[in-house]
Order: sequence, then C-alpha cells, then structure tokens
Amino acid sequence: MRIRDTNKEEIVKQKAIEMLVKLGIEGFGMNRLAKESGVSVATLYIYYTDKDDLIKKIGIEIGQSFFSEMVKDFSAAMPFKEGLRKQWENRARFALKHPLHVACWELLSHSSYRDYLLQESLTEFKIIMGDFFKNAVSKKELLPVSVEVFWSVAYGPLYSLLRFENEGKNFGGGPFKLTQAITEETFELVLKALTP
Amino acid sequence: MENFTENILVFATNIKTENDKKKIIDALNGHSEIDDWNIDQEDIDCVLRIVSKTVSEEQIIKLIGRHDFECIPLE
Repeated sequence: MRIRDTNKEEIVKQKAIEMLVKLGIEGFGMNRLAKESGVSVATLYIYYTDKDDLIKKIGIEIGQSFFSEMVKDFSAAMPFKEGLRKQWENRARFALKHPLHVACWELLSHSSYRDYLLQESLTEFKIIMGDFFKNAVSKKELLPVSVEVFWSVAYGPLYSLLRFENEGKNFGGGPFKLTQAITEETFELVLKALTP
Repeated sequence: MENFTENILVFATNIKTENDKKKIIDALNGHSEIDDWNIDQEDIDCVLRIVSKTVSEEQIIKLIGRHDFECIPLE
C-alpha cells in the first residue's frame, strides 16, 4: 500500500499552478510536473487519475479559496456603497496575496474548463453577488445597468490598478505603488458612475 | 500528516490510441477485482491506473500483455 503524503501533495499543487501559468494547459504535462515537484510519476497518479482530473481539482480549489475570501464580512443585504467597498478590499487582498492563483484562475476560466469550474466552485458566490446587485438596484442605490456593464465599471478599474501594482511601474516607467489614497480616489469615481 | 489510500497500481504502457484502448476495455471492465481504472493517453507514458484491493502488478502485466501491449510498473 502506498502512503499519501500531504506535504508532497501541497508541493505538487503549488508546482502545478506555477507550470500551468508558465506553460498553459497544452504545454503542461504530468511527467514534467512529477520531475519538477520531486515526486515519482506513480506518486502523482495516486493523487490524480490524469491531467484532466488534476486541472479540475486545482481549479476547484482556487475557485473555492477565492469564494471564501470574497464573502468575508460581506452580505448581499449590505448598502451598495459599503458592499462594493468590501468587495474591493477582498478582491485586492486576494489578488495581492495570491497572484499566481489569480493568473491560473484567469487561464482556466477562459478555457474549456470554464463551465465546469464555475459550476463546481462559484455557484453560491454568483447567487450572493446576484442578490447584492438586485438589492442595490431595487433600493435605487445602483443604476439598472446590465451585469456585464456593472462588472466592468465596478471592478475593471480595480483590476487595472492591481496590474500596475503587480508590475510596480507607472506609465512613465517610474515606480508605482497602490496606495490607500489612489484606491479611494478611484473607488469614488466608480461610485459616481454607478449610483443614480 | 499522512494517511493510507486505497491500493492504486500505476503502469507505463504503449496503449496510445483510442483504438488501442478499445482492445483492453472489456478485459479491465470485466475484471471483478478491479474497482476502477483509467489511462492517461495525454501522458507520454500512457499511464494506466488501476484501483483494486487485491490485484497484483503481475496480474495486470499479464492481462495487458495478453493484448500485446507493454505494461511496466512505475515506481
């Protein structure tokens, strides 16, 4: 009987995320993952039935950790301004803490795994965010725009700022730091755009 | 933290194509001691993974060999 080592499993997961981001789904392979994680191919196949299984399990785990961070101190019944601010805080914290996870999630959620992963890990999150959106519209705290327009205006600016922060550079090539003041300035502009 | 998993046997094979796979499906599906199995044909080793509490590596090698495929236990 083979022994399952949880530490090794964590190393494998971390390596798999790194390799997926670096090589893409097509370029990613179990043999190479085994080599780079310092485990045998056989060990890898004890954890996962195949490459497909591994990608799904890793995707679900990232989705679920994203979900649990997003709903921290958040509820769909919150006043719009307060709730959106909380979403900004939660999203920024997750993106800055787990840049590789975010990159991997981006990759998987634009692949053929998209529907499976959204279904398996974000169904509940989508319901909460949908309720938040509907509540805000019915309380007239949010303009009745489409969900896509809402998402783009509400979070697009934040993700752009986070990209600057990750690169650490402004347009002029000088240093960039995402400060509280910059975040606040942008957040106020977003509110102005979305509220009646 | 460590825990025991069900018994899993892992082999490198040359069962490369869907057609190859068809040749062994019946033998593996019909084996009463095999709980589950799959082949990762995307992998360079076309890894055959067998879940069974009782089957031995030798039995699997013989079974796959009968269909003229290579089957080498992975360590």
